[in-house]
Amino acid sequence: MELDKKSSKGRILASGLAPFFLLIIMIAYIFGPGSELLDLGTPLPEITLEKIQFMDSEIQVTVRNTGPISVEVVMADVNDRIQPAAIEPDRFLNRYETALVRIPFEWNEAEPYIIGLTTDDGTRFEREIQAAAPALKPDLEFAAFFAIIGTYVGIIPVLIGLLWLPFIKKINKSKYHFFLALTVGLLLFLGIDSIEEAIDVSGENLSGSLNGTLLIATTVILSFLGLYYTSEKLTSRADSIKISKPVAIALMISIGIGLHNFGEGLAIGAAVGLGSIAFSTFLIVGFALHNTTEGLAIAAPISRGKPTIRKLLGLGLIAGTPAIFGAWVGGFAFSPFSSVIFLSIGTGAIFQVIVIILKWIREEGDSNLSSAAVASGIATGLLIMYFTSIII
Amino acid sequence: MVLILIVMFGLSIGLVFPTLSEAQKAQKTFVTHAGGVITTSGEVIDPVYEVSTMDFDPMEYLRDFNYGKISKLSDGTTLREFTIIAEDDKVMEVSPGVFYNVWTFNGTVPGPTIRATEGDLVRIHFINNGSKEHTMHFHGIHPAQMDGVFEIVGSGGGRFTYEFEAGPVGVHPYHCHVMPLEEHIVHGLYGVFIVDPKEKRPAADEMVMVLNGLDTDFDTENNFYAANTIPFYYQHHPIQINTNQLIRIYVVNMVEFDPINNFHLHGNLYHYYPTGTDTVPSLYTDMITLSQTERGIMEFEYTYPGKYLFHAHKVEFSEKGWVGIFLVRDDLNQDSVEADYGT
Repeated sequence: MELDKKSSKGRILASGLAPFFLLIIMIAYIFGPGSELLDLGTPLPEITLEKIQFMDSEIQVTVRNTGPISVEVVMADVNDRIQPAAIEPDRFLNRYETALVRIPFEWNEAEPYIIGLTTDDGTRFEREIQAAAPALKPDLEFAAFFAIIGTYVGIIPVLIGLLWLPFIKKINKSKYHFFLALTVGLLLFLGIDSIEEAIDVSGENLSGSLNGTLLIATTVILSFLGLYYTSEKLTSRADSIKISKPVAIALMISIGIGLHNFGEGLAIGAAVGLGSIAFSTFLIVGFALHNTTEGLAIAAPISRGKPTIRKLLGLGLIAGTPAIFGAWVGGFAFSPFSSVIFLSIGTGAIFQVIVIILKWIREEGDSNLSSAAVASGIATGLLIMYFTSIII
Repeated sequence: MVLILIVMFGLSIGLVFPTLSEAQKAQKTFVTHAGGVITTSGEVIDPVYEVSTMDFDPMEYLRDFNYGKISKLSDGTTLREFTIIAEDDKVMEVSPGVFYNVWTFNGTVPGPTIRATEGDLVRIHFINNGSKEHTMHFHGIHPAQMDGVFEIVGSGGGRFTYEFEAGPVGVHPYHCHVMPLEEHIVHGLYGVFIVDPKEKRPAADEMVMVLNGLDTDFDTENNFYAANTIPFYYQHHPIQINTNQLIRIYVVNMVEFDPINNFHLHGNLYHYYPTGTDTVPSLYTDMITLSQTERGIMEFEYTYPGKYLFHAHKVEFSEKGWVGIFLVRDDLNQDSVEADYGT
């Protein structure tokens, strides 16, 4: 019996591996003896100018080889005028390898520039900067500047939003459902907003070979699945780890919003760093108004628990503080790839929170999610977000 | 929560200061051709051409005149025979690191400078070793069947003999005239044809400058401009001339895509003979404007030694390579014009 079991296990293993084995043979054939059969067309080089920074009398370009073949970067130009430059570590770029091109150039602030790089086959690739702005140095002054912006945009509005808690506590069930649904509407809008932002960033900065939109979709879904699984564990064990279910849900919402605000901070920091916007007080006001509603989203579920001030403050900080970190990363070390990833993770988190809240509304009694309170709540949430977003 | 904050903070710090962990690499300092100073641990990419790595030597081309194989016909006419071979498979490094498929007459862009005296019989044995059809079309006066337009010469060894009387006096371009014409020209199938007057021009240090452009990425805009193909070449390898010596430049504009080109000389003015057909200069200037295949002869002398720029005053062109320097030296011994020019 033992032997039979073993051999049948072996057979299962073999049948599971056989297709892989054949696949490997096929790939080896294509790369080896069969390569001549498939030698069609000319692979074209492609490089992507991922980041352009304006330093003291110097323009720095981060370039990535995003094509199917290795390339040499042999020449740099500014506004289509050839400029001598240095390239570090060297001009040979394998697939996906990056290099830093340093062009000595007396640039003028707030003027547009087109930076071009030419590869060894004479092809020129370019990227336009709408307004040159000095690159931010990660010094204390700017770190403090971003911390203040993050506080205004992230922490304070969320905490203000939480002050709706006493009000929500006192209202009846259907009105309460309305506010939960309102939260869903708010979050739905934030989710769509994040996806749009991620697609924008990937479209402007990432090469087509990275499949930006699919990267976003994959990351959103993975993030959703991961957080959904974690939150189910958390809420099902809520009693044993001494936090009530409403608090657990509020915690998940805070984390989701925190991830979103990290992305928002990234966007703000990057925008300041790249000089693509003037950072006006008006913009901060817009973000602040917009984010106050996020406090409401946390307040709605927790109102049915017994939150302490400390817990509330903690939830508010989890949701708001990441805006500061986001602004630091975005301003000092902007990387389009990581921005897209962070934004997508945030989106997954938001959709996960939406599902949790909807589940909760159903458990609370509105099993079809078809009451006037729910429908009008979601609609109101979306509209609030839309109109506050126009201000930004 | 505190844990999350700490992790976030750590991540941010890590992303903000990624360079802290990298060891300081060896730094080199370079002064670039535009005068900028770069201190780098990497490589310098600067379009400065090293003589040793070149396929084509603009300094050699500058004063290289091809008078052909000379013989006398029974009526006393001078016959000049040339063999020109067209190819279209050569890949040349046109600027440091930039490789471009050039189409060539006798292996270079521009092709050889063909020079004859007015009234000579010019006979050109043309062989097309390219993979496409090519011809030679001379600007000048000749019979229709010698015009190199309708007499297409087939690829892979096709032959044709062009024969005509050299004229009129002046400087003229020749180029391939197969369609699509623009493609055949911008790839490099052109050169200069000089017809000297029977009574020679005054002795001078003579040179040929073909103003051309290179569209290396085929977007119908030139990526490079130059006098004699190689961008910035004469800037890094100044053309050495002597004070108080007549300099004569045969200049031909072969730039495509851009409607005009021009030629500005520093610290001096020149007498200009449009197309070189007249013996009296029509301009005394430091700036001429040239349309497609427009050409002429410039004559000047420098009084003061030193470095003088010459370049397109369409600054885009000069900043993309069409710029050079005359290094003017006091030379008491006027006979030593043959001195080493090519350094």
